[in-house]
Amino acid sequence: MIEARPLTRVMTGADMILAALEREGVDVVFGYPGGANLPIYQRLPEHPAIRHVLVRHEQGAAHMADGYARATGKPGVVFATSGPGALNLVTGLATAFMDSVPMVAITGQVNTSVVGRDAFQESDVIGCTLPVTKHNYLVTRIEDLPGAIRKAFHIATTGRPGPVLVDVCKDIQQASGVFEYPEAVDLPGYRPALEADLSAVGLVAKKLAAAERPVILVGHGVLLSGAEAELLELAERTGIPVGTTLLGIGAFPTVHPLSLHMTGFMGTGWCLRAVQNADLLMMVGMRVDDRVTAKLDEWAPRATTFIHVDIDQSEMGKNVRPHIEVVADARRALQALLPLVEPAPESRRAWLTQIEAWREEHPLRYRKSNGHLQPQDVLLEMYRRCRSEAIVVADVGQNQIWAALWWQFRGPGLFINSGGAGTMGFALPAALGAKVGRPDKAVWCVAGEGGFVMTAQEMSVAVEQNLDVKVVLLNNFSLGMVRQFQDDFYGGVRSQVDLTVMPDFLKLADAYGWKGTRVERPEEIAAAFDAAEQTPGPFLIDFRIDPEANVYPIVPLGKGLDHFQEEPYDI
Amino acid sequence: MTSEVPNGRVRVLSLVVEDHPGVLERVASQVRRRGFNIQSLTVGPVAAGRSRMTVTVDAGHAEVDQVAKQVDKLVEVIEVQDITDDPIVSRELMMARVDVPAHAREGFVARISKYGGQVIDATGDSVVVELSAAPDRVEGFLALLRPYGVSELARSGPVAMRRSSSR
Repeated sequence: MIEARPLTRVMTGADMILAALEREGVDVVFGYPGGANLPIYQRLPEHPAIRHVLVRHEQGAAHMADGYARATGKPGVVFATSGPGALNLVTGLATAFMDSVPMVAITGQVNTSVVGRDAFQESDVIGCTLPVTKHNYLVTRIEDLPGAIRKAFHIATTGRPGPVLVDVCKDIQQASGVFEYPEAVDLPGYRPALEADLSAVGLVAKKLAAAERPVILVGHGVLLSGAEAELLELAERTGIPVGTTLLGIGAFPTVHPLSLHMTGFMGTGWCLRAVQNADLLMMVGMRVDDRVTAKLDEWAPRATTFIHVDIDQSEMGKNVRPHIEVVADARRALQALLPLVEPAPESRRAWLTQIEAWREEHPLRYRKSNGHLQPQDVLLEMYRRCRSEAIVVADVGQNQIWAALWWQFRGPGLFINSGGAGTMGFALPAALGAKVGRPDKAVWCVAGEGGFVMTAQEMSVAVEQNLDVKVVLLNNFSLGMVRQFQDDFYGGVRSQVDLTVMPDFLKLADAYGWKGTRVERPEEIAAAFDAAEQTPGPFLIDFRIDPEANVYPIVPLGKGLDHFQEEPYDI
Repeated sequence: MTSEVPNGRVRVLSLVVEDHPGVLERVASQVRRRGFNIQSLTVGPVAAGRSRMTVTVDAGHAEVDQVAKQVDKLVEVIEVQDITDDPIVSRELMMARVDVPAHAREGFVARISKYGGQVIDATGDSVVVELSAAPDRVEGFLALLRPYGVSELARSGPVAMRRSSSR
C-alpha cells in the first residue's frame, strides 16, 4: 500500500521544486549546480525518484532534455544556476522553441534583495530567454512557487508545445512555506483547446474530392499529436500522395507507394515536381517556412487551393495565405475529416502515374565510383542493420540531410534533429537524452566532425551514466554544407571551411573512456558496424568520407523549387 | 506623427492583459520581433489584476492580421481586438507649455476654451494647457498653439474603445 501523502506540507522552496517535479512525474533532470541553485542540489539526494544527469556544459543539458522529450513525448527538465549557467541554456531553449519541444528549465536566480543590482552571476534571464521560450516566470515570493511550476508544465505540454523557464531567486529556494500543489491552473489568456476551429472540415473534404492533382504535406505537428494512423488512412482512402518536412519525417512511411518522401529545398525531385504541379496543397502541422518553400513567389505556382491545418492560429497566413483554415491539433482535425472524405476518383490515377514517372526520372542517387568512402554507403549499411528500429539523432549540415533522405523512418521519435534552429552540436547531447528516455532502443548519433566537437565534452556523460550510444562520425575534414554552398552558390571561394586540424577522434574517444574505430574504405564499413554493435557501451566510428561529397537534390539559394539540382556526376 | 504611413498598414489593437510585471515588455517584444513598429501605446489598470492596452501598430510589409495573432499567442494576453475598422471612440490627452505673457493671457484663454482646452497652470510668462480630445482634434489644437511658442509637449497617445460592445 502506498501511504497517501498529505496535500499540504510546510517545506522549503527547494523541496517544493523537487516535490512539484515528483508530482509531475519527472523521473530525470539534466542539470548543473552553481551558487544560485545550491539549495535545490542540497535537497536533491532526499528525492531519489529523480535521477540527475550531471552534464559538462549547460547547453548539453538543454539538448539532452530536448532529445529526451522528442524520444519519449514527455517534457524534458533542466536545472541551471544563475548568470552564465542560465545563459548557456539559451541556444538549447531556442532549439526546442523552434521545433515545438516541451521542456521545463528551472534556473537559480540571485537573492531577491539584489536582483537588478548586478550581483555576482546575475543576469536578466527572463529578458534573455523571453524570445526563445513559450513563457517564463520569475519567482520572488514563496507562495507563487508551486503555481509557477504547475503552470510551466501545463504551458510546456499543451497546445503547441515549447520550452518554459522558471527563474527562482535563491532566497525563495531557502524560504519556507506551505506546499499546495494546484491541480488546475488559472491562465485566462491561455486556452489552446478553446481556440480550435474545425468548422471548415466539410469544405476540406469537398475540395479534396474535387482536386485533380492534390498533394498533402505534413510536418512535426502530425508526430506531436500522434496522427500518423489518421494520416495513413486519409492518404489511402483518398489516394492523395504525402510528402513530409524535415521534422515531419516518420509521420508517413517513406516506403509507402503514396510517399513523396521529404519536401523542401533539399527534398526529393519527385516530391518537388508534385508540389510544383499540384492544384491543391493541404499542409498539416507545419509552418510552411522558407526551407519548405524556397523562393516563396515561385512555390506551388499551379495550386489554386491551399488548405492549412495547424494548432497555432498565428501560423495561418504567416508565410502562405490559405484558402481554407483548420485551427486544430492535427489528430483532431484528421479525425473530424476522415468520416467526410470520399474514395479516390478514377481520374486521379493519371496524377499518381505522373508522380511515378517523376520518381523514376529523379531518383535519389549518389556518386559511387570515385574510390572514396561515401556517406550514403555508411547510412545504407546502418539502415540495413537497424531496419528503422533504432533512434537516429542527426546533427546539422550535410550529415542531417543525408540521414533524412537515406533512411526509411516509419514512426515518431525515431529521427531527431534540430530543424528550425539548425543548431550544430545538438546531436551528441540529444542522443544521450534520447537514450536516457528510451534505454530499450538502440540510439545512433550521426554527426559531422564540426558539430561534434562543439559539444564533445558530453562524451563523459555517456560513460558516467552508462549510456550505450553509438556515434557515426561522417568526417570530411571540412564544414561540408558551408563548403558546398561556397562551391555552388558563392563562386567557389572556399573561405574558412577547412577542418583538417582536428583531434584524432580515436584518441579522443579513448581519452573519454569510449571505444572506437576508423573506416577509410567502403569494404571496412560492415566490420566497423559489427564492432560497434558487439561492443557494450558508447562507441565512435570515425568514417573518413569523400571530402567532396555533396547533398543532392538541392535548390540554389534564392531560387524556386523548380530549379532543384541533382547529383551532377555519373553514378 | 499620425498619418505618414498608408492607412492599411496601421492597426489599432485593444488588449486586455494580466496586470503582471513584464507584460508590457512581452507585448512590445512580440511586436518588435515581427518587425512591426509601435506608433503609440497606452496602458492602465481596468479591473483587479487586469490592464487594458491600446496599441497603434504599423504592420510594415507583414500581413496585418499577423500583429493581432502574434500578440494573442502571449500567455498573459487575455483578449485582443483589432478595432481598426470598427466604429470606435478615441481620446488622447495632451499637455503643452505655451509662451503666453500675463497681458495676453485673457485673450488666449478665451481662444483655447472654444476648443475645449484649459489652462491648468500659469506661472511667469508661460502657461500649461491641457486638452483631451480625438487624436485629429489634438493635432488641430496644436496647430493653434504653435504660433505662440510651444516649449514643452506631452501626449498620451490615443486610448480607444468600440462604440458598441457587440461585434
